[in-house]
Amino acid sequence: MPALITNAVGSYPKPEYLAQARSQFSQGKIDRAELDKLERKATEYWIRSQERIGLDVLVHGEMERGDMVAYFAGEPGGNPIGGMKLGGLVRSYGNRYYHKPIIVDKLTWPGPMTVDMWRYAQSLTRRPVKGMLTGAYTMVEWSFDDYYPSRREAVLDMAPIIRREVEELVKAGAKYVQIDEPAIHTRPAEDFDLAVEAMHLTVDGIDAEFHTHICYGEVEKIYPDMLRLPVKQIHLAFMNTDFEYLKLMEQVPFDSGKDLGVGVTDIHTRFIEDVEDVKAGIRRTLKLFPPERLWIYPDCGLKTRTTDEAEAKLQVMVDAVRDIKRELEID
Amino acid sequence: MQTTVVGNYPKIPNRPRPARLRQAINRRDRGEITSEELARIEDEVTVEVIGEQIEAGVEVITDGQARWDDDQTYVMRRLGGVEIGSLERYLDTNTYYRRPEVTGPVSWREPILVRDYRFAAENSAKPLKAIITGPYTLAALSLDKHYGSREKLALALAEELRNEVQALAEAGAPIIQVNDPVIVFNKDDIDIFSRALTRMLNGVQTETAVYTWFGSAAGILPALLDLPVATIGLDFVSGRDNWEAVKSVRFDKKLGAGIVDGRNTRIESIEQIEESIRRLSQSVTPDRIYVNPSCGLEYLPRETAFEKLKRMVDGARKAEPVAA
Repeated sequence: MPALITNAVGSYPKPEYLAQARSQFSQGKIDRAELDKLERKATEYWIRSQERIGLDVLVHGEMERGDMVAYFAGEPGGNPIGGMKLGGLVRSYGNRYYHKPIIVDKLTWPGPMTVDMWRYAQSLTRRPVKGMLTGAYTMVEWSFDDYYPSRREAVLDMAPIIRREVEELVKAGAKYVQIDEPAIHTRPAEDFDLAVEAMHLTVDGIDAEFHTHICYGEVEKIYPDMLRLPVKQIHLAFMNTDFEYLKLMEQVPFDSGKDLGVGVTDIHTRFIEDVEDVKAGIRRTLKLFPPERLWIYPDCGLKTRTTDEAEAKLQVMVDAVRDIKRELEID
Repeated sequence: MQTTVVGNYPKIPNRPRPARLRQAINRRDRGEITSEELARIEDEVTVEVIGEQIEAGVEVITDGQARWDDDQTYVMRRLGGVEIGSLERYLDTNTYYRRPEVTGPVSWREPILVRDYRFAAENSAKPLKAIITGPYTLAALSLDKHYGSREKLALALAEELRNEVQALAEAGAPIIQVNDPVIVFNKDDIDIFSRALTRMLNGVQTETAVYTWFGSAAGILPALLDLPVATIGLDFVSGRDNWEAVKSVRFDKKLGAGIVDGRNTRIESIEQIEESIRRLSQSVTPDRIYVNPSCGLEYLPRETAFEKLKRMVDGARKAEPVAA
C-alpha cells in the first residue's frame, strides 16, 4: 500500500525568460507559438526537477498561468471561460494590484482550457501528473459579477464548466485531479453548503481521484464541515500554523474515508526548513493518521519563491519523508 | 439629504491614464526617488481624487485615503507600543493588510492625520470629513502581546486616539467619522465597542459619525443609537438584515445609508437607488439621510468607482422630491 506519497500543490516559479515572454506576448511582440514553446520548455524543466528531487506524484507547474482565477477569465494566452473577462486594476495589498475578473454574461465552457499542457507534461514522465483546476466557488467569489442575480446562481452555472474540464482531463488520462478552493472559508455560515453542492456537481460520478487544497484563512471555522466535500483528499497548510490543525483533528477525527494532504514547508519564507523540523511535523501527524492516509506537500504553491528556494524546500520535504519511511520500515 | 462616501477611493486609474502612485512607490522602493518626492505624488493624487469625487457630484467627500495602505496600519504605525507584522486577509475580502502587533502600552505621540486633513481641506471646494479607524476595529485586527484582553486594548487605544480626534477637531474638520466595521462580525463585544467609542469621542464638539460595513447591525442597532455620535453608517448591500433593523427602532440619528455596492462592478440603476432611498425614508426622515456606497471604494477599479458615484448622485437627486 502506498504511503506518505510526496506531491506539490500546483505552481512553481517562472524562469526569467518566461516572465519576459509573457509580458512581450501581452504587448503583441511575440506570437502564441513562441510563448507556447517557452511555456513547454519551462514545464519540462519542472518535470525533470521534480523527478530529480524524487517526488512521487508531479504537478505541471502552471507555467502558462499567472493567477489561478484570472487564467480562466482572460489572461493573455489562456482560453477564457465564456462570459468572463478581466476587469480594471484592483489593489490586493500594499502596492500590489491585479486585474480582477468579471462575469459579464452567461458562463459557457470554451473548449479545453488545461488539457494540452497537462498532456504535454504527462508525456514527459512515467510518474503521474495531477490535473489542476480552480473550484467553482472560488472562481465566482474572486470575481466581480455583472450578470447573475445571486452568487448562488453564478456558482451553480460555474460548476458544470469546471466539471466539463475535469471530464476532458480524465479522458486524456489524468488519474488525479486537484480542485482548489482557497476561498471556501470566506463566508462559511452563508455559503459552505453552496460550496459543497458545487463540488458535488463538479466531481460526482467521474472516475478519478479528487483532491482539494484549502489554504490560509480560518480553517477552524470550516472544520469538521469540510469533511462533507466529496473528495478523496483535503490538503491544508500545516507548517505555516505550526501544525495547529492537528488539535482540531484530535477533537473531531478526520473522516476515515479521506486522505489528508499535509503541508510541511512554509512557502512564504525564504528560509529553508531543517529536515529534522519537517520530520517532527510528519511524526506529529502520524500520531493521528496511519502513513497510508497521508500525502506530503509544501503548504501551498511555490510560485512566489525563487527556483533555488522552491527546489530546496521540495528536497527537504522528500528527504524527510525518505527518513521517516526508513524508520517505519516502509519500502 | 446629502451624498457622501465611506472612506477610501481607488489609488490608481487604468490605462491609458498613468498609474502614478503605483510607479512612484515602486521607484521609492528601488531608491530612485526620495520619500519626500513620493509624498508630493501622494499629495497630487489626493488632489486628483478630491476632484473626481466633486466631479461626480458628491456633496461631502474625504481625502480618498490615498496614503493609507489599509485602515489599520496607517493609524497604528504612528503609535508607541506597536509594530507591524504579518500579512492577513481583511475580513471576508480577497485583500490583505499587515497586522499590527501591540508589544507595549500604546501611546499617542504626535498628530497622525492632521496634516493630511489640512492639505485636503485646502484643496477641496466641498466639505471634507476626516476619517479615523475606530478603537474596537484596531484592537480586533491587531495581535495583542501586551494587554491580555481585547477590552483593555480597545479602551487604551480609545484613550490615546482621543488626542487625535481633538487635534482633528481643532484643525477645523466639520465632521469626524470613525470607521469601525468589525463590530458587525463580533456582536457579543458591543459593550466594549460602545465604551471604547464613547471614550474616544468624549468632549468632542464636532459632528461625528461611526460607520460599519460588510454585515448587518441587527441586534446591536439600539446600542449604536445610544452612542454619542450624530450619524450611524450601515451597509444595506452586504447587510441585508439592516433593512428590517432600521424599521424596528426609532431611528433618531442621521443614517449613513450604504445602498450602492462598493464591492461589485455592476452599476445600480437610478430606479434602484431611488427605490432604496424611498424605502429608507419610511424609517428615517430624508433630511437625516446621507446616501453613500456600502463601503470604501477601493475594491473597485477607479473608473467603476467614479461611475457608481455619479449614478448614486443622480439617483439621490431624483429621489429627493419624492422622499421630501
